[in-house]
Amino acid sequence: MIPEAFPEIAWSALAPELVLVFGAVALLLLDVQRKPGVRVLWGTSLAILAIALALGVWQWVVATPGAEPVFGGMLIFDRSAALARLVVLGVSLQAMVAARSLFAHLGNRAAEGLALVLLAAAGFILMAASQNLVMMFLGLEMGSIALYILAGIAGDGVRSDEAALKYLLLGAVASAVFIYGAALVFAGTGSLDLLRVAGFLARNLVLSPAVLLVGIGLLTAGLSFKVAAAPFHVWAPDVYQGAPAGIVGYMAAVAKVGGFAALARVLLSGFESFRPDWAPIVAGIAALSMVVGALMAIISSDIRRLLAYSGVAHAGFILTGLAAGAQGSSSVWFYLAVYTVQLVAAFSVVSALGGAVSSGSDLSDYRGLYRRSPFLALVLSVSLLGMAGLPLTTGFVAKLGVFLWAWRGDLEWLVVVAVVASAMAIYLYLRVIVIMYMQSPADDDPVLCDRPTSWALGAATAVTVVLGVFPQPLLKLVESAVYL
Amino acid sequence: MLTLLVLTPLLGAVVVSLVPARRRELHLPLGIALSVAPLGLAGAMFFSFDAGEASFQMVEKVVWWEPWGVSWQLGVDGISLGMVALTAILFPLSLAVSDSISHRRKAFVVAMLFLETGLIGTFLALDLLLFFVFFEVILVPMYLIIGVWGGKRRVYAAVKFFIYTAFGSALLLAAIIALAVMHASQAPDGLLSFDYLALLALDISPTAQMWLFGAFALAFAIKVPLFPFHTWLPDAHVEAPTAGSVLLAGVLLKLGTYGLLRFNLTLFPEATVSLVPVLAVLAVVGIIYGAVVAIVQPDLKKLVAYSSVSHLGFVVLGIFALTSAGLQGAVIQNVNHGLTTGALFLLVGMLYDRRHTKQISDFGGLATPAPLMAGFFLFMAFASIGLPGLNGFVGEFLVLVGSFPSLPGLTVVAAFGVVLAAIYMLWAYQRVFTGPLKGAENRKLTDLSAKETAVMAPLAALVLLLGLYPGILLERTAPSVEAILDRIEQYTDYEAPDPGRLADVFNTASEDES
Repeated sequence: MIPEAFPEIAWSALAPELVLVFGAVALLLLDVQRKPGVRVLWGTSLAILAIALALGVWQWVVATPGAEPVFGGMLIFDRSAALARLVVLGVSLQAMVAARSLFAHLGNRAAEGLALVLLAAAGFILMAASQNLVMMFLGLEMGSIALYILAGIAGDGVRSDEAALKYLLLGAVASAVFIYGAALVFAGTGSLDLLRVAGFLARNLVLSPAVLLVGIGLLTAGLSFKVAAAPFHVWAPDVYQGAPAGIVGYMAAVAKVGGFAALARVLLSGFESFRPDWAPIVAGIAALSMVVGALMAIISSDIRRLLAYSGVAHAGFILTGLAAGAQGSSSVWFYLAVYTVQLVAAFSVVSALGGAVSSGSDLSDYRGLYRRSPFLALVLSVSLLGMAGLPLTTGFVAKLGVFLWAWRGDLEWLVVVAVVASAMAIYLYLRVIVIMYMQSPADDDPVLCDRPTSWALGAATAVTVVLGVFPQPLLKLVESAVYL
Repeated sequence: MLTLLVLTPLLGAVVVSLVPARRRELHLPLGIALSVAPLGLAGAMFFSFDAGEASFQMVEKVVWWEPWGVSWQLGVDGISLGMVALTAILFPLSLAVSDSISHRRKAFVVAMLFLETGLIGTFLALDLLLFFVFFEVILVPMYLIIGVWGGKRRVYAAVKFFIYTAFGSALLLAAIIALAVMHASQAPDGLLSFDYLALLALDISPTAQMWLFGAFALAFAIKVPLFPFHTWLPDAHVEAPTAGSVLLAGVLLKLGTYGLLRFNLTLFPEATVSLVPVLAVLAVVGIIYGAVVAIVQPDLKKLVAYSSVSHLGFVVLGIFALTSAGLQGAVIQNVNHGLTTGALFLLVGMLYDRRHTKQISDFGGLATPAPLMAGFFLFMAFASIGLPGLNGFVGEFLVLVGSFPSLPGLTVVAAFGVVLAAIYMLWAYQRVFTGPLKGAENRKLTDLSAKETAVMAPLAALVLLLGLYPGILLERTAPSVEAILDRIEQYTDYEAPDPGRLADVFNTASEDES
């Protein structure tokens, strides 16, 4: 069946993604044609990201809150999608500015790596903006496949290969689970378009919702894998530990943004009417993630595993906001925006200290970091305190928002679990700070990081503190991104 | 003015951090000078405070984030007045004795000034979230002060301190959020609010009161520390540097009693009345337990630390006596304990700086080489025991007078705490300062320097002033205390027993009121 007219494409709404995709192609061609140095390639990719970000800001300004779907209903660039785009591009830029040494190590594979970074960003943005489950799957795969390759791109040992293979295999299973869920949703409602699904559910009374419930459950499980929520988190520590240090922060951050944006859209836009059914499941995953993440992080002796498990706990906090329903999604966005900045900053420090492609990062290497590099110790401390949710950092405002909405959404028990989990989490972050400030270093060699890295880290630290004291601009921004 | 008072130390911290690290001789004097500024402001606040007024004065409010009902809101009443003044007094003094801090001195001064902002802010905050932020933020500088500049087991002590208090405050945050959400469901505008004054108007069911009271009380009981949550205290005190101990005992512990007084009693009156037996018993157990453990301590600093557990038990007993004499006693004893125990920790620190030991058995007969030090120690020990004429007497007497009508049995037991205090304090004095002068090092001990005397003298003067003329504080606190009691009587069927009203006992401020 041929459509009567080719669907109108709102090219301008897609401008940032087009820049990313064509930029990636251009990078590869540039590499083949001219063989420029890594610095040129790296600089070009930064320029591409910056242009995309500028276009994203422009789109944010012109995007109307009740945006119409584009691409025949495949994509919708409403406020939440536009915000997800800003977050993805922002942290990508932050991560890439700090990742020059990684690409210098990759040598002639640098262009591929940079192109994959751009493609992954585009993929996860498309995933966040998907109105249709098929499109969401395409975005998910576009982003994930790029990340599978990036996990193994250093190719310098068993760890890295193991990480890449594990990520690929488990990721493929999760994708399969997701697509099966999408199929069941189609079977139950006759549509893959989330707006139509919601419309169908509003008009019809579903007498035997079993198929739909299983579908929702599978979609949630597949996406929970992407955001590393317990019990779908087992891959995270190995991948975070094995992948090149310079890229892990980026990988974790964009996958989380894409995954949570998709989860929010599926649950809040498509199946809002089923909230009584899915809220307990999401709340259960949230509680499990917070507790398991905090406990496992406490017993980790490797900083990357520690950050991976703490990421599991953070996924739990974000899911807590999600379980609170549409109003709570503002707190989800705030949390994602500030947590990813801290996460990328923490991994940039790991990379600066242990080497961009290394796969070892034992906590004992951080002994007395204060003496070897006061700057890096300070940056890591602020990031960790932010993750711990101490007042005067963005992490506190983020947690407060999540708790407030969850309590309003009648999830009091979940808030109690969350505050206890965050108290446990304080201990684990404190442990790292104790190691950095109160133990003597094994050697007194100063740790140096290149200038762009220190800019990125300085900016991240400033953002964490300044927005922690005066979060009003960001709060205003996320309030407007609520699903209505 | 209150905003200025809160932010001046922070500004001072910024100034000190801008001084280059190599000019190390500048940091401490500058820190002391800068901490005199908040002292001046606190003094101005103290004397411009309207003693006849029960409600909050000098209130300042700036909205921070409207949709959440959070604002920067400060105000002072009789309950917080003394605590703010005490904080402002103790900071310059404890900085002045911090010469022995040898490494990272700049960071130390910055941490201290940061701590001062946090402490003053906690006492003045009228927005529950703001209160929580200050309450939580002070953990960081205090943690650093113990963990970086402390004794041998400093890291262990610092982490223990942090974990205990962080766990306590986690549930406090949940309870605060619960109150804000309750406001949203009850207030006609349906908005969240963390405003203490707005939350006072909430109608909270008895069950909810019990839960919320529990969450608040746990956080504050850990801070006080109330038996059985006290185990972090001796470690923290023993490992902390002198300035840290002074502030820990003098001010930080008071956050707990202040919180109970300010929030538990007013926000959850029904739960307060029904939980009086639990808290009063814990308080009395703490009084006796702290005193008994203090007697057998071989370490002088630990002895003073355990004496804090005992003294703060009196404060908590006074609070939950729910009579105006008891509450008044609690408020003034909060200040008294800060002065006397602060002074005792200063003296222990001075002794430690000279002899590098805190073991009582290493000393003996020190009154001969150091008569001035011995004199101050004895003076402060007497104040701590509650010798009439000194401040400790006023507080403990009021607490006992106030709690006898409502809790006679417990009061009788608690009174033994005073006797035990005489035992551990005087026995410690005897072993350290009297008897034969042992050892060459003790013989060479130097007496207090002019500067150290200058640090001790104002504390001694205040101890004497509050002992002879407690009215200067009591008349300012009376209306606020009466207001708390009125509120409890209004919301529950509780009636304060006779002699309920302090006016009958001390005949101070409320003359012109009635």
